[in-house]
Amino acid sequence: MQFDSVDAVREMFAKDGYIADRPLALTVYLANLLGKPILLEGEAGVGKTEVAKVLANTLDTPLIRLQCYEGLDANSTIYEWNHAKQILHIRIAEKQESVETLDRSIFGEEFLLQRPLLQAIRHPGPRPAVLLIDEVDRADEEFEAFLLEVLSDFQVSVPELGTFRAAHRPIVVLTSNRTRELNDALKRRCLYLWIDYPTPTKEREIVLSRVPGIDASLVEQVVGVMHTLREIDFFKRPGVAETLDWSRALLGLGARELSPELVDETAGCVLKYHDDVERLREIGADHVLAGESERSEAR
Amino acid sequence: MTLEASSIGDAAGAARALVQRVMTFGRLCKAAGLGATPARMMDVLRSLEGIDLRRRDDFRLALRTNLASSHEEEALFDRLFRTYWEGEATADYQPAEFELEPQEDDKNREIPDEPPDLLGNPEQWSADELAKARELVGRWTGESREVQRLVRELAERLATRPSRRVKPARRGPRVDMRRSLRRNLAHGEMLELSRTRRKIRKTRLVMLCDVSGSMDTYNPLLLQLMFGLQRALPNSRTVVFTTRSSEITRSLRRRSVPEALNEASRLARHWSGGTNIGAAIGEVNRRILREGSASSTVAIIVSDGYDQGDPALISREMRALRRRVRAVTWINPLAGSEGYTPTARGMQAALPYVDHFFGASNAKAIRALTKQLGAIR
Repeated sequence: MQFDSVDAVREMFAKDGYIADRPLALTVYLANLLGKPILLEGEAGVGKTEVAKVLANTLDTPLIRLQCYEGLDANSTIYEWNHAKQILHIRIAEKQESVETLDRSIFGEEFLLQRPLLQAIRHPGPRPAVLLIDEVDRADEEFEAFLLEVLSDFQVSVPELGTFRAAHRPIVVLTSNRTRELNDALKRRCLYLWIDYPTPTKEREIVLSRVPGIDASLVEQVVGVMHTLREIDFFKRPGVAETLDWSRALLGLGARELSPELVDETAGCVLKYHDDVERLREIGADHVLAGESERSEAR
Repeated sequence: MTLEASSIGDAAGAARALVQRVMTFGRLCKAAGLGATPARMMDVLRSLEGIDLRRRDDFRLALRTNLASSHEEEALFDRLFRTYWEGEATADYQPAEFELEPQEDDKNREIPDEPPDLLGNPEQWSADELAKARELVGRWTGESREVQRLVRELAERLATRPSRRVKPARRGPRVDMRRSLRRNLAHGEMLELSRTRRKIRKTRLVMLCDVSGSMDTYNPLLLQLMFGLQRALPNSRTVVFTTRSSEITRSLRRRSVPEALNEASRLARHWSGGTNIGAAIGEVNRRILREGSASSTVAIIVSDGYDQGDPALISREMRALRRRVRAVTWINPLAGSEGYTPTARGMQAALPYVDHFFGASNAKAIRALTKQLGAIR
């Protein structure tokens, strides 16, 4: 077990600049205690991926990341053979070796390309690796079924080399943006936590710790506007990442205070779709600055 | 809780009582639709050993992270937790009084419905709405064999496209190096190549069904077609709407069509009182089509286009929708009936963004409709 208590988790995360609230700290602690994967869901940009990174950092253990995408299949997540190297080897060995020795030699370790799942399972320790399975909702159902199998046994077999079983079960963090519902069985295997946008107080803390040199009163304004913006049903609501981007941009521009013009000019840091930028223009930056998420005179 | 209890009296007894209460709570969770499986209940008990039970919030969070699996389930869990653990908690709460069986109260207490899918709305519904819901189910006249066949054919044919996944094949454009090497080891030369070809992938449908009063003409065959498609193409999503919208994908997946209709009418507790097409499309744009596979998604809207909302909203949301899917199909049950022209304001606002417009006024039109749907690429 890596953490003694929930508070220990919070402290260790804080040392790494991550402000973990109690539900998150408790979930990390229990995942560690029970040896279960964590499934984090929430809007894009609330810091789900960051949890795995900080976890790896605080435990001083490698972060092994599996980015999911449509069409991801078992081969590219466990292992592949280095075919080019194998063929080269065959060419050289052709003259001297028998089929059996060739078979043994080209399906050996040196021709094996380990992919994230195998890497995580074969991690030598002493502390378990952190395995981040990012945006699992982007992969398809077939892959989920396969993942479920790996997550229950933590073993995979490579026919030519045998079965590998994890000596140190990795700490697994799955994230999902919820573009579709995940398989029930997979969800039941995990501890679940929905991560919301941070409260203004927490977001202020985050900005101040991540964007050194920024004016506290500007941060106050930025965070206020972000919270107003999140009430508007944009196609893509801005996350914490956008707050940080925007803060850095404003710092770079030498801004001391937000004005409607400045909000319009820098809207691209916060809103990533043309429709959304237009929507903001409709509502008016001055209204947003005043904390209004709807144009009042339009009613 | 228990630590204090243990200092008061029989520690082992209190612990056993707590376990019993937690197990009873687990059954309540299960009855309310949470996946409180035996394996998960074991994990709950193991979790309790690791946390400070005096912190009630830790106790709640530990149970929740084990038993809930979505944002909605978290909310449902919190409601159940409050009812069960806090409904009777008093200042001088005595652990010795833990009951081994649920109290009469617990049994009678209303167990909340299953969590709605993404767009549900926890509201009470009026007698009027109840009547409307029953009416909709009443329109269900059982599964017609013909529609079943149509659905089957359509699901098979429906706009297939090559997947990024590959499968082994005798002939195919790509060489499968892994299998080729294995096969040719004995030859020492690459004599026979193993090949792969792309798998075929089904289109994902996102269906929006207008179930408002103005859809009384709703054809039972059309309902069956839509819901049948949802069941045949598991990737798809179905949303019903009037002035609000409610996703019914999960209930359609789990139940028979009449049951699902009942369920849909329970979830969509707002049958009457007009239609807001723009708002419904907006919800779908933001909640269901947020990111991802635009190229494989076909949106199907079933509505007569009579709308109380702002036509400008319909235009805006239709434009956004059009950009997020491969094709927008509008099925208007009135179209094709004699003397119909699409003059409803909502219909007018939407038409510029519609790729395929079909009628469905009778069985013949529905047959034609399935043919045309099958041809969408």
